[in-house]
Amino acid sequence: MADPYKPRAPIAPWDRRELPGLFDVEESARRIGNYTWAEMKLFEALGGWVATVPELDVKMRLGTHCYKHAWHAELWHKRLPELREMNPDRLTEPANDAMVQFVEAMTEPEAPELTIEKLVGVYRVFIPHFVAAYTFHKNNTSQITDAPTIRSLQFILQDEHDDWREGEMLLQSLIETPEEVDRATAHQARLQKLMLQAGGIAGPGSIGMNPTTSASATAGATNRNGGH
Amino acid sequence: MRTYFPVEELARDERFSKVNMRERMADPRTLAGDSATTTRKSRGNNNRLVPSRRDATDAARALMHGIFVGEIQALEGAGRTCHDFAVSNVPGTGPSGADSDPTTGNTVPFALKLDMARQAWDEARHVEISVKLSDWMGTEIGQFAENTVLFEAACSTDPVLRLAGVNRALEGLAIDVFTTMKDFGDLAGDPYLEFCEDWMLADEVTHVKMGSDWLRKVTENDPDRRKKALDFQNVVDKLFSYGGTRSDSEESPIGLARRFRELAGFSDAEVADIAAVSLAALDERKSSVAKMRDQAVTEMADQLGTA
Repeated sequence: MADPYKPRAPIAPWDRRELPGLFDVEESARRIGNYTWAEMKLFEALGGWVATVPELDVKMRLGTHCYKHAWHAELWHKRLPELREMNPDRLTEPANDAMVQFVEAMTEPEAPELTIEKLVGVYRVFIPHFVAAYTFHKNNTSQITDAPTIRSLQFILQDEHDDWREGEMLLQSLIETPEEVDRATAHQARLQKLMLQAGGIAGPGSIGMNPTTSASATAGATNRNGGH
Repeated sequence: MRTYFPVEELARDERFSKVNMRERMADPRTLAGDSATTTRKSRGNNNRLVPSRRDATDAARALMHGIFVGEIQALEGAGRTCHDFAVSNVPGTGPSGADSDPTTGNTVPFALKLDMARQAWDEARHVEISVKLSDWMGTEIGQFAENTVLFEAACSTDPVLRLAGVNRALEGLAIDVFTTMKDFGDLAGDPYLEFCEDWMLADEVTHVKMGSDWLRKVTENDPDRRKKALDFQNVVDKLFSYGGTRSDSEESPIGLARRFRELAGFSDAEVADIAAVSLAALDERKSSVAKMRDQAVTEMADQLGTA
C-alpha cells in the first residue's frame, strides 16, 4: 500500500474538470427559474391532457411523463435557494412573452382527435428545446463550482432523452397517412416559429447563440445570456 | 385546453362503454350482481369474494376490470388536478394566466401539485398492472362496462374536495378492494395476482396518506372548508358503499381493511363511521331484496289464485 503521508496531487490526474464557466450565480439562477416555469407548464399540460386522449397507451405515457417533469420542476425549485434566491417563486417565470405564447399555443389542442398535435408540441418541439438548453448549460457551466446543477442536469437529460424517444415512437405509430404527416408538420412549424421568437427555454442565448431574428425577446434577457 | 374537464367528455377508445352505477352493479357477473344474491343461500351468510364462491371467476374478473377502469379515471383525475389550479405564490400560473381560478379564487401549494403528478405516475402504473392482470385472468378490455363516478369526484372546483372525495374516499375503497383481491390471490394459489395487488396496495396507502395530510394542512385555518370536504367524503363513501358491497360483514364481498386504513391516516372514529355507513348500505340492500322477494311471492300467489 502507498505511504498515506506522502503528498498527493489534490486533483487526480484523470480529473479534467475546469473551474471557469460561462455563468455567474445570477445567470445560473435566472436560467433555472426559466427551467422551473417551463417544466411546470409541461407537467401541467401533460396531466391535463390525460383525460382528453382516447388512446390508452398514450394516456399511460402522458401520466408517467407528467411526473417526470414535475420532478424536474421540483429539482430546479430546490436549487434556486442554493443560488442565493431565497424566494424561488420570484424567479419562477417565463423567459419572455413569446415563451408564454408558445405554451398557450402548445396547450391549445384539446379534442380527442388531436392527439397528434398534442404529442407534436411536446415531443417534437418543447422537449427537443429542453434537451438543447440543458445540454448547453451542462457543457458550459463551471464543472466544479456548479456541480450540483450539473448533477441535476444529468438526471434530467436522461429523462428528457427517454421521453423524447417514447413520444416520437408514439407519434410514428399514430401517423398513418400523408395527410397526417402534413398535420403534424404544419403544427410543428407553427410552434417552432413561436419557439424561435422566444429564443429557447431560457430565452435568447438558451444554446449560446443570439438569433438576430428574435423579435419579442427582452433586451435584458439578451444581455444576460450565456453567449457573452 | 379548458380548466375543469367534464366527465361526459372523458376520452375512450371504442372498446369501452359507459353505464351508471346502478346498471354496473346490476350486471349479474359482478360481485353484487344477481348471481351474488342467488348463490348466497349456498354459502350461508358469507358473501366475501373467495375462490370457493360459485361465481368466483366472473366476480373476480369483473372486479379486476372495475379496478382497471377505476385506475384510468384516477390517473385522469390526478392529471387534472395538476392542470386545473394555479400554484399559490407563483403569479400567472392559473387558468388563462390568472393568479388563481378567476371564478373560485382557488390555488394549491406547489408541493401538492407535485404529489398529484406523482400520483398520476402511480395510477399509470396501476393501469399497466391491471390491464396485464385482466389479461392474465382471461378478460378483454371492455368486457365489462365502466361507470365514471370516480372521475366525477375529481371534478370539483375546490381542490380540497378532490382530495377528500378521491384520495380519502375512493383511494380508501381501493385499499379495501386490493386487500380483498390480495387475499383472493393467496387463497386461490395465484402468487402473480397476490404479488401485484400487494404492490398496488402499498401505493394506495401512500395516496390516502397524501390526501389525509394535505386535507389537514390546506384547511388548517379554515374549519368550514374542512367540514365541507369531510361531508363530501362521506357522500362519496356512502355512494361507494352502494348495495353493501364493502363492509366489515362477511355478507359483503369486500372487507374493510382497517389496519391499512390506519396506516393511511384514518382515525379510529373515521373507520368506525365508514363501517357504519357500509353496514347501513348492506342492510338497505338486504331489506330491499327481501321486499322484492315478498312482492314476487305475493304476485305469484295472486297469479296462481287467478289461474
